[in-house]
Amino acid sequence: MENCTKATTAWLNTVEYKELNFAREKLVINPAKACQPLGALLCALGVEGCLPFTHGSQGCTAYFRSTLSRHFREPVASVSDSMTEDSAVFGGQTNLIDGLKNAHALYKPKVIAVYTSCMAEVIGDDIKAYLGNAKQADAIPKDLPVALANTPSFKGSHITGYDSMLKGLIECLATPRQADKINDRMYVVPGFDTYTANLREYKRILKLMKVPFTLLPDNSDVFDAPNLGTYQLYPGGTPLTEMNDALNAAKFLFLQTFSSPTTSKYLSGLDVPVETLAMPIGIAGMDKFIESVAKFTGADVPEEITFERGLAIDAMTDSHPYIHGKKFALFGDPDLLIGLVTFLLEMGGLPVHIVCTNSTPTFKKAMASLLASSPYGQEATLYANKDLWHLRSLLVTEPVDMLLGDSHGKWAARDANIPLVRIGFPITDRVNLHRSPIIGYTGVINLITMITNTFLDEVDRNSTEAHFEMMR
Amino acid sequence: MFTNLTKLDLLDKKCMSDAGSPKLCMKALPGEGAERSCAYDGARVVLMPITDVAHLVHGPIACAGNSWDNRGARSSGSQLFRRGLTTDIMENDVVYGGETKLKESILEIALRHTPKAIFVYATCVSSVIGDDVNKVCEEAEKELTIPVIPVNCPGFLGDKNIGNRIAGEVLFDRVIGTAEGSDEKIPLSINLIGEYNIAGDIWGVIPDLQNLGITLLTAITGDAKFEDLRSAHRASLNVLICSKSLTNLVRKMEIKYGIPFMEGSFYGIHDTSETLINIAKALKDPDLLERTLVYVQKREDETRKTIAGYKALLENKQAILFTGGVKTWSMVSTLAELGINILAGGTQNSTPEDFQRMKELMDPSAQIIEDTSSAGFLKIIAEKKPDLIVAGGKTKYLAHKTRTPFLDINHGRKLPYAGYQGMIQFAETLTRTVLSPVWGLLKQDFPPKEDEQA
Repeated sequence: MENCTKATTAWLNTVEYKELNFAREKLVINPAKACQPLGALLCALGVEGCLPFTHGSQGCTAYFRSTLSRHFREPVASVSDSMTEDSAVFGGQTNLIDGLKNAHALYKPKVIAVYTSCMAEVIGDDIKAYLGNAKQADAIPKDLPVALANTPSFKGSHITGYDSMLKGLIECLATPRQADKINDRMYVVPGFDTYTANLREYKRILKLMKVPFTLLPDNSDVFDAPNLGTYQLYPGGTPLTEMNDALNAAKFLFLQTFSSPTTSKYLSGLDVPVETLAMPIGIAGMDKFIESVAKFTGADVPEEITFERGLAIDAMTDSHPYIHGKKFALFGDPDLLIGLVTFLLEMGGLPVHIVCTNSTPTFKKAMASLLASSPYGQEATLYANKDLWHLRSLLVTEPVDMLLGDSHGKWAARDANIPLVRIGFPITDRVNLHRSPIIGYTGVINLITMITNTFLDEVDRNSTEAHFEMMR
Repeated sequence: MFTNLTKLDLLDKKCMSDAGSPKLCMKALPGEGAERSCAYDGARVVLMPITDVAHLVHGPIACAGNSWDNRGARSSGSQLFRRGLTTDIMENDVVYGGETKLKESILEIALRHTPKAIFVYATCVSSVIGDDVNKVCEEAEKELTIPVIPVNCPGFLGDKNIGNRIAGEVLFDRVIGTAEGSDEKIPLSINLIGEYNIAGDIWGVIPDLQNLGITLLTAITGDAKFEDLRSAHRASLNVLICSKSLTNLVRKMEIKYGIPFMEGSFYGIHDTSETLINIAKALKDPDLLERTLVYVQKREDETRKTIAGYKALLENKQAILFTGGVKTWSMVSTLAELGINILAGGTQNSTPEDFQRMKELMDPSAQIIEDTSSAGFLKIIAEKKPDLIVAGGKTKYLAHKTRTPFLDINHGRKLPYAGYQGMIQFAETLTRTVLSPVWGLLKQDFPPKEDEQA
């Protein structure tokens, strides 16, 4: 047995340990991913009158609710059918039927979105059959739409669950596509996005561009609800009429690549025109979005948009010296990482360590080609399926200037003595960050503000008297 | 989520099946909501605060991914307990079993993270796929020099309380009394059972214990070191602070080690003094009792003097109290200390005794919240229009939507409220909460009604 006394904190900071750490195969330490049903819940809350319903153990749902509630600082409505030991033995049908009945009676949802937690999946519950039996037994009205998604958390991550639930909702709510009933709407899918302001920014831009659109799902009014004195159980979401007509869409535009492959494939299979873009972070990303919408409408890009783009580029010129040449480490979901790297490369920032716990082979390829496209991408390494403990080793042995990621990164950043700019999910130790967009031209300005000012705060805090000054 | 079960006549006998638990603690009905966490979470709550050990979750990402470092337990030493360790069970493990992965993970942790022990948590999935966590721990332990302790607490066993109890059993069976050396009782020493050092609560109590000459052997488990827990059987007295679910632990310790136990609370001036006096009595040291009586009087006077300004601001405010366990009754007197009237009180996860005690302490006119769901909660807010709500974090944002000042007194809070020192903090925080100018802003109609414009 290796000498255990070596395993001191100082030793954890060595290159020797880093190598051992990266040889670690089975154990995961400080994971940067959540589970499928959490993503399903987030998706389901973006549909009008929809009640998210976990088929599984009750503790899972309590965790999802508290994680989401701590991030958004809003109440999170959802129920569970509280499967227990006997359901593990006999199956969860009784729980599902009773649960649907009670949930419908208590909360009067217009739609129920059922997704599974691990236990139901392991014992092989057939939720489709159970749902049929529930309706047969008149536990719920026969015409109550109930969307289904299988979301075992031992597969994929929260983005996979989001995708499955989205497909389940469309399958359940949309009428079949009919050639003579194609509508004029562009259905825009934001993907697993925990910035309510991103969704509102999409809507603002789409309105500016005068395109008939449906944002699907749209949880912006759910996770950022105004205080009007009373609690609304169903404060918003994609209207059901627009859900019903989803398969007759003129087009579906996906604004994330890795959080919706199943849904986009499903739609393509039904001959719905589908286009998928990278999350529009950074100028180039947003340009593609605007161009795509302009092509759809056939109209010129409105002047307001060009004006806003000009503002963003002006902000980039103002603050390029603060970011150009700085080294960054990043972690988060695949789509967010592609967006953030795009932005950094545009600013001349150097991504160095990129950690993605829920990486996929297609993401690896996409990131590799993005990095290869820029001289500033040459120092970067993508650490696929690694966790925040790997990230810690990287930060203490190959230092960078800043870490970009969610609140879980604060320990690694502290150990490496570098600032953390909080971008991603969950952010549980800062307020309001989800209320400013990070996508679009406005997002470019916001990212610059956060990153640059954090650097400058560091400079001021650590500066000697000789170098302390008004101008930075 | 909110619900109103009484109206739906769903209260059949089935929901009363959670053995031994009172109506107040009854099992959640399918589809009723998702207020409750699970047995796994309950075990984590009790064991996670042990600071210098590793907590390894043998489950899919959900169990650890959503719960690592999610409570405000603080440590004065090792931060190892915060590390989010999991086997991250994947589809292959579900098919082929996760025992090999678990064993390798245990060995990796032992080798590289210098824990004093490893607690291994079973979860729904590891249990359903039939992984023998006990066996793996036993095998790993043979190869190591530290204890590897299985915690069999799959979430499907039921509510949080069950997990609390399981954790108590684990501590009793595997930790307490395992220290080498003397088993002799240490004079004037106590354990604080069910004190988790949330937001550093325990550090507000320790100085008073020290001043009185009482030795805190360990809390179970706030800021606890593994070695101290192993010697916990040497205490002269167990003081049960919170979570009646650890009653099993103190009873067993009484039988096996002859340690008497008492209940107490360090929330509020009155309860803190009473608890200190009762500790002195239970330790059967006349000199200590005498000192304590003088000491608590002094501390009470000092504290009351300090909070007098806050009391003046809070006096006659109307509150709704909604919490669990010992805080149920302890908060009643804490709020009364500040001159706050309780309009209604409710509880979840409390025993009938806790509940009864709360009822006795409250003004007879105060309403008992029978429907303890969020619906009942919203209804009572609408009826009573309280000046403030004191409750756990789950209802915080609901309360905010009703424009009512809210103070979180459960594990989501950031500041310590225990002991005399905590009382000052509590009064200060509550004052800032209730008197924040934002509530006034929220209550203004906009646009203003015509008659108000004039």
